[in-house]
Amino acid sequence: MTAFTTLLAKDLRQIVRTWRIWVLPTLTALLAISGPITARYARELFASLGGSEFLGLLSDPTWVDAYAQWTKNLAQLLTFVVIIITASAISGEVRDGTAVLTLTKPVSRTTFVVAKFVATAALVIVSIGGGAALTYASTAVFFPGAPAGPLIQATLVWGVLALLLIAATLLGSAVFSSGGAIGVGLGVLAGLGLISLLPAASNSPSGLLGLPGLLGSGQSADVVWPVVTGLGLTVFLLATAAIAFNRREL
Amino acid sequence: MPPAVETVELTKVYGSVRALDGLTMTVPRDRIVGLLGPNGAGKTTTLRVLLGLAHPTSGTARVLGTDTRSARQQIGFLPDVPGFHPWLTAPEWLQFAGRLFGLPESVISKRSAALLDQVGLTTSRRIGTFSRGMKQRLGIAQALINAPDLLILDEPTSALDPLGRMDILNLIAALKGRTTVLFSTHLLADAERVCDQLVIVDQGKVVASGTVAELRHARSGAGTLFDLDFTGPADQLTQRLSAEPWCSGCELTPTGAVITASDVTAARIRIPALLAESGMGLVRFEEREASLEDVFAHLVGPR
Repeated sequence: MTAFTTLLAKDLRQIVRTWRIWVLPTLTALLAISGPITARYARELFASLGGSEFLGLLSDPTWVDAYAQWTKNLAQLLTFVVIIITASAISGEVRDGTAVLTLTKPVSRTTFVVAKFVATAALVIVSIGGGAALTYASTAVFFPGAPAGPLIQATLVWGVLALLLIAATLLGSAVFSSGGAIGVGLGVLAGLGLISLLPAASNSPSGLLGLPGLLGSGQSADVVWPVVTGLGLTVFLLATAAIAFNRREL
Repeated sequence: MPPAVETVELTKVYGSVRALDGLTMTVPRDRIVGLLGPNGAGKTTTLRVLLGLAHPTSGTARVLGTDTRSARQQIGFLPDVPGFHPWLTAPEWLQFAGRLFGLPESVISKRSAALLDQVGLTTSRRIGTFSRGMKQRLGIAQALINAPDLLILDEPTSALDPLGRMDILNLIAALKGRTTVLFSTHLLADAERVCDQLVIVDQGKVVASGTVAELRHARSGAGTLFDLDFTGPADQLTQRLSAEPWCSGCELTPTGAVITASDVTAARIRIPALLAESGMGLVRFEEREASLEDVFAHLVGPR
């Protein structure tokens, strides 16, 4: 095994043997199942809460509502969970002294950082992929004939945003404590949000913020530039994380 | 063959603190060398620079004839508080460490079993359940997994009970002649027991180096030490001693003084007499050879 595969195998084993295996996959599964149910019974829930006089304003629920729940959950909840589970990836090892024992062996710090990125990305991709599959299955039960395409596109585009945030949070984790890393992740997310207010920003990585909702509702949108620039920024942030960690004293 | 470790004018500054201040030392191959010094002397910083964990402000450090990063394949390291993933078992950690060194699986498995047996860790429990001493022993085992040319240990026995300490010292002693061992400690008895050579550092500098015998000799010169415990002010005694031709040194202790004498016969007669003349009460008077504690206290001074 190479140093990279050894570190990656260790990081994946860490995910399986610690709390990380429960948080994102469990939360994703719960949200994936509950989203279409909420969409299907939203009218009934609204009526039971005393809003029956407004029922006429609500249209009949469709698969679009179910997918909208999923994309809202991705944007409003799972985005933050991704930042939180990434935050201690490097800083936790530095704090616990495991980084010192590992990095005094013939392994580069760049390899260490990249292995962390790949392991975290794998956890997110598998969890969100599973969540999307569950969302589709659950939606198909309540809204037969729901297309898979919009859901897949929306999830894939959000996946690119997740990779970007993992890289940003890893950069924070390579330099600061876990709290600082969360700050960097949230800061990049807020920065993207601010940039998205500018004209022509939809072609930048900030375009990734609004695309999942748009694509999930079945609308078409140009995803190429946000995805390409998003992946470019991810590589840049990851390279910066590696450089910063190489310069850090342990 | 180049020395195992060679530092020249190594300096490390943290803000206004000079952790290393022109530290120059050489560690010959296949020796067990103790790096001694009080807390904050620069021992751990020196080791961190040698391992590439800290960058020197100036000066050079070469390990096994090359730069610190390139030498890692041949280095084993145990930090003072080793950090392990608590969700791994001891054999799993050794497998992880062995793979990072690129060792074949058959070698890893053979060495792991032998090392765990040697350090008395034949448990399949997760490391998270280990005591500090068990972690320290696992730390030694993982530092030896690559059969290193240079083993660097930072305070390897500080967390161990007397028996565990003895085991680790025996293990280090067994490496004599096969591997270079550089270990930092403030436990002088440990250093005296296993080291071929000592390097004493204080305030970021090497203040003395040599074998235990050489350092003892340098401390006492050709003289003998006399331990005195007495009552009464010490000022008069030190004043009178400075006029005695046989007295080559006097260091005050909390209860008396340690006097170095070049003429033992004269000292035996004159010391009690000087005390009596000064009106001081003699509580204890003991003649002995210089110990490593004397060397250390003499070089590092009271804190």
